[in-house]
Amino acid sequence: MQALTLRTRLADKDRQKFFLAFLGGKLIGIAGAVAAIITLGPWFTGQVAHALAPGADDLQTQITGTINGLNTAWTLIAAFLVFFMQAGFMMLEAGFSRTREVVNVLMECIVDTCLCALLFWAFGFAFMFGVGNGFIGHSFFFLHGATATYTFGGSFDTGVAFMAFFLFQYAFADTCSTITSGAMVGRTGFWGDIWYSIGVSGFIYPIIGHWIWGPGGFLQTAHNGVWLRDFAGSTVVHTVGGIIALCGAIVLGPRLGRKFKRDGGGLPAGHDLTIAAIGGVILWFGWYGFNPGSTLSAIDAAGIGRVATNTTLAAAAGGMVAMFLVYPRSKKWDVGITINGFLGALVAITAPCYWVSPTGAIIIGALAAPVVVYGIDLIEWFRIDDPIGAVAVHGFCGIFGTWCVGLFATGEYADFKGLFYGGGTKQLWAQVWGNGLVVIVTVVVSFILFTVVKATGTLRVSEDGEREGIDIHEHGSPAYHPESAFMGRGL
Amino acid sequence: MLELITAVIKPHKLDDVKEALLAIGIKGITVTEVRGFGRQGGKTEVYRGSEYSIDFIPKVKLEVIVPAAEVSSVIDAIVAAARTERIGDGKVWSMPIGNLIRVRTGETGTDAI
Repeated sequence: MQALTLRTRLADKDRQKFFLAFLGGKLIGIAGAVAAIITLGPWFTGQVAHALAPGADDLQTQITGTINGLNTAWTLIAAFLVFFMQAGFMMLEAGFSRTREVVNVLMECIVDTCLCALLFWAFGFAFMFGVGNGFIGHSFFFLHGATATYTFGGSFDTGVAFMAFFLFQYAFADTCSTITSGAMVGRTGFWGDIWYSIGVSGFIYPIIGHWIWGPGGFLQTAHNGVWLRDFAGSTVVHTVGGIIALCGAIVLGPRLGRKFKRDGGGLPAGHDLTIAAIGGVILWFGWYGFNPGSTLSAIDAAGIGRVATNTTLAAAAGGMVAMFLVYPRSKKWDVGITINGFLGALVAITAPCYWVSPTGAIIIGALAAPVVVYGIDLIEWFRIDDPIGAVAVHGFCGIFGTWCVGLFATGEYADFKGLFYGGGTKQLWAQVWGNGLVVIVTVVVSFILFTVVKATGTLRVSEDGEREGIDIHEHGSPAYHPESAFMGRGL
Repeated sequence: MLELITAVIKPHKLDDVKEALLAIGIKGITVTEVRGFGRQGGKTEVYRGSEYSIDFIPKVKLEVIVPAAEVSSVIDAIVAAARTERIGDGKVWSMPIGNLIRVRTGETGTDAI
């Protein structure tokens, strides 16, 4: 047998062809990378960042506000609390799922968190809080051109250090994309999850958010000059997240073998109510960053106190009412619906928390409970498989909470009053109109998004994969008892 | 004469088999989660990036006691309902049993089913 020396290898025609093809491929790759560095490089070094937003340039030099240490610390604490809501979401969603889909739920939440951070840094924050037009912002791409404090394009100086504001808003964006995954548990392919998450946290959430919260967003003036008031995100975060979740669940279809109530079935029981209940309470805890943190000001002590108290009272009322509301059905004190009840109330109080009285908060929370309970019934009746109740809790209560600003605002803390406090219907119509517009746009855009992802064939796992369990099919490993893999191996 | 029918099936076929047995008038079944291998062999799972093989695959074991005369019809029902025509569909077997007693009443034999 002839030894494979270097000489014989070099003489081999096939090897020569292979080597040339290999070398050619590498060169093309290197050329592509070099081209990307040359074209994208200036973005990273900030040379063209100002050219993108010529108007922003003047503003940025004019107002370099002084950093307020207290406001910054408070906003960061709130950001950390909101971030911790991810743990709550993971536990709630995992607990309400079946054992075979737990790893998938955890992975979706983790990947959403990572992906959203990078997207928000690259362009999400720029779309949402960059200076631009009423529709979209276009400064601060890759966080370039950051001022000392965030100033809403020069209209209002928060005194919060820019990066602290960024982190706080990132935590919000992350919340929105995680809400979406709740209604799509157990059947979404992981590639599909990544594609639609890019759409949600990179584009849908930031652009719609810009309309209400961004500098010069058009929903701040579009309805006869009346601002759609959304203090902490009933519309921006929860309505958008919940409605995307609804569209996702519709396009996906139910999990295999899922029987609905009107067909004599029902929602499969969550596999771990301990985890789900603790996750729900962690979400409640995180909401103390979500709502009180949205003051963006530690100096507004009265506001923080009022918002925190209103948030608590609404959640308490929501939990109690939901529990008593479903008691007659089964004569049982149901833990799952009680959790969803206080979560729905938290969603509803999110928009009005700053402007209502404690009594108003209790009424809002109490009314959110039937929205959740009958909302879940409605979704079930339409044969839409929403394992967590994300659509009713976030979508429906988000809409309801946004309206509540126009109903319950006392007028004591801002220059507008709700219908029940003699303010007439002016603010209410702005709320209903603006929120309705957001719902319609979200429905259209997310249906397009999910249909496109579906067309790539990655949105849903194969039937075999789903039967085997999405955990093993997509992630290679079950959530529980992986030690059985070693049964009979002496380990 | 009573016989014990035991079936080892794919977990996701349990609902279908249960429905099929209820349809032919079976009053009760016992189910256990089991693990094992047959001709299907094991399979591969992944944990923190490394693959490991699973020798014992999860299955459901289902037990039902019926009068000897009904054995073949019950087995037919189980086989028809559990079949996916792919490897790993499982096995069904039957064997005679000595006695059967209902604990609550002390009834024996066919009365205790």
